[in-house]
Amino acid sequence: MVRERRDLYSLPDAPLASRCYSHSKVETDEEFDARWVTYFSKPDIDAWELKKGMNTLIGYDLVPEPKIVDSALRACRRLNDLASAIRILEAVKDKSGPHKDIYPYLIQELKPTLTELGISTPEELGMDKL
Amino acid sequence: MAHQAHAYHMVDPSPWPLTGAIAALLLTSGTAIWFHFHSLVLVTAGMILLILTMIQWWRDIIREGTFQGHHTPPVQKGLRYGMILFITSEVFFFLGFFWAFYHSSLAPTPELGGCWPPTGIITLDPFEVPLLNTAVLLASGVTVTWAHHSIMEGERKQAIQSLTLTILLGFYFTFLQAMEYYEAPFTIADGVYGSTFFVATGFHGLHVIIGSTFLAVCLLRQIQYHFTSQHHFGFEAAAWYWHFVDVVWLFLYVSIYWWGS
Repeated sequence: MVRERRDLYSLPDAPLASRCYSHSKVETDEEFDARWVTYFSKPDIDAWELKKGMNTLIGYDLVPEPKIVDSALRACRRLNDLASAIRILEAVKDKSGPHKDIYPYLIQELKPTLTELGISTPEELGMDKL
Repeated sequence: MAHQAHAYHMVDPSPWPLTGAIAALLLTSGTAIWFHFHSLVLVTAGMILLILTMIQWWRDIIREGTFQGHHTPPVQKGLRYGMILFITSEVFFFLGFFWAFYHSSLAPTPELGGCWPPTGIITLDPFEVPLLNTAVLLASGVTVTWAHHSIMEGERKQAIQSLTLTILLGFYFTFLQAMEYYEAPFTIADGVYGSTFFVATGFHGLHVIIGSTFLAVCLLRQIQYHFTSQHHFGFEAAAWYWHFVDVVWLFLYVSIYWWGS
């Protein structure tokens, strides 16, 4: 999980399954990632579910792992939604906040997928200079 | 003359259902004519006929109940069921607009920037006038309850005062909301944000106006001694409707004004 924070339990908006209730199950980073990869891997995911998933994911206090973004980009491909694919890249860059090294790392990890699916980055399109 | 051997109300023949139906036809066809041929004649005739129908139909109900004594306990029970079912249907009406709002806001499309509020939309601060509006409606819920207790306890003057206060609070809400509509940095044409905002809050505002009117009629009736401490269903129906309007506002406030900002 690409996260920059002090402690998993001290944040107010941690993912649902990770709140510090003593009685509920705590979700590991791997389980979180797997859950989201599965969500976007649904073969017949519809446009609403894609957008809802992205909004929920972006609401968390973390930058999604490359494998989650990869799964979401493939969902965009199945839905013929290039606009959302590029928007996802903008969103994860924004989520990185002041940590300027996260986004280049993500793009580096996703390069094969971006090439395979024919997705340009916002930078390649000149959209990062608005 | 034969007398009825039951407690129910077999109503006399009345022209108002027919005039109401004609009004509905004029309003619908009139709207279509207005859209395509720019003439307001039919829809205006429909509005006038509708208003006259409502005035005369409800006036007749007041005559039948208050002056002729037809509203026995079983009849009143039926009227209660009727009002409850009507309000329930209104709940479903608003549910549709909330569905539309949540459909669009939980999964915002790329055209909006994939985010909510959409790119470029300047939302209203939920802690300014909208919060005042919430306080106004909640207060009016208190005053209408005060009015009810006053009626039940035979306190004529207090009933008139609290009912008047309720209506004034309703007018204040409408005034504040009208100002908000005028000053808002977005319009109904501003994408799905504008559509969901103004259709949902707009229909709510219309219901506030309807509710205020209903309460105003009750005020006039209270002044004219129509209500007794035991029997004042018209007022109860108005109060139920008013509470419904208040609850809808609370959902609107939390969903659209607060969460949606």
